[in-house]
Amino acid sequence: MSMIHTAAATRGRAHTASAISVSDVSHTYGARTAGGMLALDGINLEIGDGEFHCLLGPSGCGKSTLLYLIGGFIPVQAGVISTSAGPVTAPGPDRSIVFQNFALFPWKTVKDNVLYGLKKAGFAAAEREQRAQRYIDMVHLTGFENAYPSQLSGGMQQRAAIARTLAVDPGILLMDEPFGALDAQTRRVMQEELRTIWRDSRKTVVFVTHDVQEAVFLADRISIMSARPGRIQHVIDVDLPKDRGEEILENRAFIGLSEHIWRLVREQAVAATRGAH
Amino acid sequence: MMNMAQARPLADARKSPVQKAPAPRPARSISPQVVDIGVQVAVVVVLAGIWEFGARFGALNPFLLPPLSMVLVRIWEDLIAGTVPVDLGLTLYRALTGFAIGAVIGIPVGILMARSAVVRWFFDPLVSIGFPMPKIAFLPIFILWFDIYDTSKIIMVAFSCFFPIVAATYAGCSSLDKWPIWSARCFGAKERELLWEVYLPMAMPQILTGLQVALPVGMITTIVTEMLMGGRGVGGAMIMAGRFADSVGVFAGIVQIILLGFVVVKSVELIRRRILIWHPESRR
Ligand SMILES: Nc1ncnc2c1ncn2[C@@H]1O[C@H](COP(=O)(O)OP(=O)(O)OP(=O)(O)O)[C@@H](O)[C@H]1O
Ligand SMILES: [Mg+2]
Repeated sequence: MSMIHTAAATRGRAHTASAISVSDVSHTYGARTAGGMLALDGINLEIGDGEFHCLLGPSGCGKSTLLYLIGGFIPVQAGVISTSAGPVTAPGPDRSIVFQNFALFPWKTVKDNVLYGLKKAGFAAAEREQRAQRYIDMVHLTGFENAYPSQLSGGMQQRAAIARTLAVDPGILLMDEPFGALDAQTRRVMQEELRTIWRDSRKTVVFVTHDVQEAVFLADRISIMSARPGRIQHVIDVDLPKDRGEEILENRAFIGLSEHIWRLVREQAVAATRGAH
Repeated sequence: MMNMAQARPLADARKSPVQKAPAPRPARSISPQVVDIGVQVAVVVVLAGIWEFGARFGALNPFLLPPLSMVLVRIWEDLIAGTVPVDLGLTLYRALTGFAIGAVIGIPVGILMARSAVVRWFFDPLVSIGFPMPKIAFLPIFILWFDIYDTSKIIMVAFSCFFPIVAATYAGCSSLDKWPIWSARCFGAKERELLWEVYLPMAMPQILTGLQVALPVGMITTIVTEMLMGGRGVGGAMIMAGRFADSVGVFAGIVQIILLGFVVVKSVELIRRRILIWHPESRR
C-alpha cells in the first residue's frame, strides 16, 4: 500500500499546502424565489493541512451542501471558503470528491471511469493504466474492469467511485458517506485502506458519515452539526494513536469517546425529529 | 439517470417484442426469443398466403390485387434486368444522405439550443412551427431553388428529418443529470470538453430516439418526393407503373419499400443496441 502513495504524495503536496477555511458560510436553496430554504447557517470551520476531518450530523442538515460548497460545485452565497490556493470559486483538481450517489459516468466501464480522471490529471498513458488497475484492485473490483456501472451493485459502484477519486491523488479529498452502501465487513476493510492512504500521503480529508464509530476511527477532529439549518454544534478532537487498527475498537478511550459523541449526535437527531413535527 | 428514463416510453413503443423477452442479453438460446420470432414470421407467412390465394381464387379482382407470387416474380425479373437495384439504390441513397445531413445539422443545433439562450431564442419558434408542419409543402420551393434532380430531393428529405432530430436532441440535452457533469468538472474538464465527453454521451439515448423517429420520416419523404417529381427511384417507378395501369408493378414497388423499410429500421435498432451497450435498456 505505502509503496503506491509515497511518490504521489510528494507530487500532491508540492503545489498545495492543503488547508480549508470556511468562514461565516450560509447557504439558502432557492434563494432567488420567495420560499427559499436555509440549509447552512453561519458555518465556521478551519481544517488544517493534512487533517482528517469528519462531519457528523442528522440527515438533511446540510453536510453534502457544505462539501459541494468546498468543492466549488455550487456558488458561495454568503461568507468565504478558501484553500491555500485562494478563495474557492469553481471545482478544481486540487479538490476531488466522492459523491454520495457515486456519480460515475454510466457510459464508461469501471476502468474507463478511473482512467478519465487520470487522463485529465495529465498522467502518462502507461502510468494511467498502472494506477487505474492498482486502485481497482485496492477497492476489490478486480475482474470488473470492463463492467458498466449499471451492471454493478450499489456498493460496487461506490467502490468504483472511490477508486476513481483516489487514483488522481488530490491534495484535498472530499468524501460524502463514501462507505454508506457497503456491508460492515467491506466497510471495515475500506476504512483501514483509507486511513493508510491518508497517513502515507498526508492528504486533507473531509469525510461525511452517519456512523459515529467510523468517524472516531478515522478522524483527527469531528464536527457535529445541528439539525437543519446546519450549524457546527461541537468540534471534538480525537486523541487517539495515529496508528489505528482493529484493536483500537477495544480501546477504552475509543469506546468512551464514541459514546460521548453518540450522545451529542443523538441530541441533534432528536432535535431534528422534534423540528419536523 | 432520471432523465434517461424519460426517453424510455418512446423507445419502448418502438421496440420489437423480441427485445422485451426477459432472457439475459448474451443468451442466444432456443427459448422465448426464438419462439417470438417464429410466431412473428408465421403471422407474416399466413398473411402472405391469404393475399396469394385470395387473389388467385377469385375473391378479388386480380387487377386490383394481383397475387403475391406475380409481384415477386416481377421483382425478380426487374432485379435481373437491373432496374430494381438502380431504383432501390437511388431511393436508399437519397433517404440516407438526406437523413445524414439532417442529423449533422440537427444534432449540433439541438445541443446548442440546450446550452445557449441566444440559439434557443432563435430556433425555438422555428422548431415549434416546423415540427408539426407538413414539410412536403416546401417541395415546390426546393424544386425552384435546387432544380428537379437529386439535390432538391435530398434537401427535402434532410429538411423533414431535421425537426424530429432537433427536438429530440434538445429535449435530451436540456434535462441532463448533473452528477456526471459535476464529476467531469471535478476532474478538471473544461466547458468545451464537457460537450464531447459528457453531454453527448449522456444525451445519446434521446438523440438516437430522435434519429429512429427521423429515419422512417426520411424514407417516406423520399418516396413521396420521387412520386411527385418522377424519374428513377422506387417512388418514380411506382408512379410510372400506375400510369401504365401496371398494378403488378405498383405492388412490386410497395413490397420493395416494405422490405427496405424493414431492413433499415432493424439495422438502426441493432446500431442503437451497440451504442447503448452501457445502458440498462440493452440489458433487459
Ligand atoms: N438542490 C436542492 N434544492 C433545494 N433544497 C435542497 C437541495 N439540495 C438539498 N436541499 C435541502 O437542503 C438541506 C440539506 O441537504 P443536504 O443534502 O446537504 O443534507 P445532508 O446533510 O447531506 O443529508 P443526508 O445525510 O441525508 O445526505 C436538506 O434539507 C434538503 O432538503
Ligand atoms: Mg448528504
